[in-house]
Amino acid sequence: MKNENLKNTALYEKHIELKAKMVPFAGWNMPLQYDKITSEHLAVRNNAGLFDVSHMGEFKVTGDGALNLLQKLVPQDVTKMDEGKAVYTQLCNPAGGIIDDLIIYRLNNTNNTYNFLLIVNASNLKKDFNWIIANQDDTSDTKVEDISDSYSLLALQGPLSSEILKDIGLSIEKQPKRFYVIETTLNNLNCSVARTGYTGEDGVEILIKNADAIQMYNLIYSAGQKYGLKPIGLAARDTLRLEAALPLHGNDIDEDITPIEAGLKWSVSLEKDHFIGKEILEKQVQNGTDKTFVGFKMNNSRIPRKGCEIFQDGRIIGNTTSGSIAPSLNYPIGLGYVNKSASMKPGDKIEVMIGNKKFPAEIVKKPFYKKKKG
Amino acid sequence: MTIEIPNNTYCTKSHEYITIEGDTAILGITHYAAEQLGEIVYVELPEVGTEFLKGDIFGTIESVKAASELYMPVAGKVIEINETLTSEPELINDDCYTAGWIVKITGFSQDDLIDTLSSADYLNHIEE
Repeated sequence: MKNENLKNTALYEKHIELKAKMVPFAGWNMPLQYDKITSEHLAVRNNAGLFDVSHMGEFKVTGDGALNLLQKLVPQDVTKMDEGKAVYTQLCNPAGGIIDDLIIYRLNNTNNTYNFLLIVNASNLKKDFNWIIANQDDTSDTKVEDISDSYSLLALQGPLSSEILKDIGLSIEKQPKRFYVIETTLNNLNCSVARTGYTGEDGVEILIKNADAIQMYNLIYSAGQKYGLKPIGLAARDTLRLEAALPLHGNDIDEDITPIEAGLKWSVSLEKDHFIGKEILEKQVQNGTDKTFVGFKMNNSRIPRKGCEIFQDGRIIGNTTSGSIAPSLNYPIGLGYVNKSASMKPGDKIEVMIGNKKFPAEIVKKPFYKKKKG
Repeated sequence: MTIEIPNNTYCTKSHEYITIEGDTAILGITHYAAEQLGEIVYVELPEVGTEFLKGDIFGTIESVKAASELYMPVAGKVIEINETLTSEPELINDDCYTAGWIVKITGFSQDDLIDTLSSADYLNHIEE
């Protein structure tokens, strides 16, 4: 590729073979799309899709002090996690701002001690790692390791994911439940299979050694053919997560936005004794926040993008943070923050400035899309 | 897939094309522009009868990825718009020089074409 500083994932050859359009993303050379974005999107909604998300960062946090370290770093109550449990959470700064959002997986204990896996955003990897290390208590027996360069991460998402897993040797009974992870062997390949994802569909994420990644990819890809599985790039990953109203760090959430403002209160445990940022989050829950995270749909065909101004009754009330056509819904949708003075019940009218014109839109309930009951 | 630019066609650096057919000219966006935009999902068309100056915005294209304004390569009056694009905007991706044309104009001056590129120069331009 032109940019020699970009890193290739272990699946680079597959992407080229599948004729992906490659783009730089967070220092990686990543597949943007293989086919039309909307076709890929609908394949995940209706059948299944296979993603290479090896750009994501993976940390191992192990040792007797691991529990206390994570308990201090995130608003979720990590003490409530049994072995095999996964939770969505955030790393917050002392002001409650979101340094990054992540999933913590509690793997089975090894050497009779804690064994956590953290999956973080590629663009925040170094910052996250340094933050975790900086908060580590020197006296405790804890090891924080960045294993990102040795592992690949595949995501198999869509309503038929479970059938595909069954066909490659993971029976329905053995498959992890939603927000659980198992360590297993598939076709003699050791891997961790987690029932998590970023699409709003059922599915799994599979962590595997780089050396085995292509074999695992081929295994799933072949088994998925009769179910209509398609390879999916970053572009459809974004439209899928947007329809599910899952925030994207750097767009919808950042260090100046707290989980409470971002509507993520469900992932914050204020019963915990302490975590970094707790005081601010507690106050925001008691007194309310100055801004609210809302979803809206356009009442025309114009597509909002990040950074458009939002108006109500002629006054500016906020800004958009994400926007796109919603391929499953066939109209443009967006996310953004509005002042608390604004009226933002579903159906309330707003206007979004696109280019230099205001276009009518209305507040709608999040998520925009909910998966079919299976 | 390469799609050939038709005869009597000039292109702009902002990737519009103009094909001269006697007193009428057909305007659209180039194949390169359509490829860059990706799946086109909406086209805002001007009204028939609108008179534009060279450089005026005469429409907007929205793709899944981005929005792009359309600029008049020459001054002229809109005499026809491609209404099919309202329901099938993807025609621009499929066939930008034929079924995916955007507007037809008249009343333009050949002198205005001085700022456009010949199809050969345009192809060199996008390869730079």
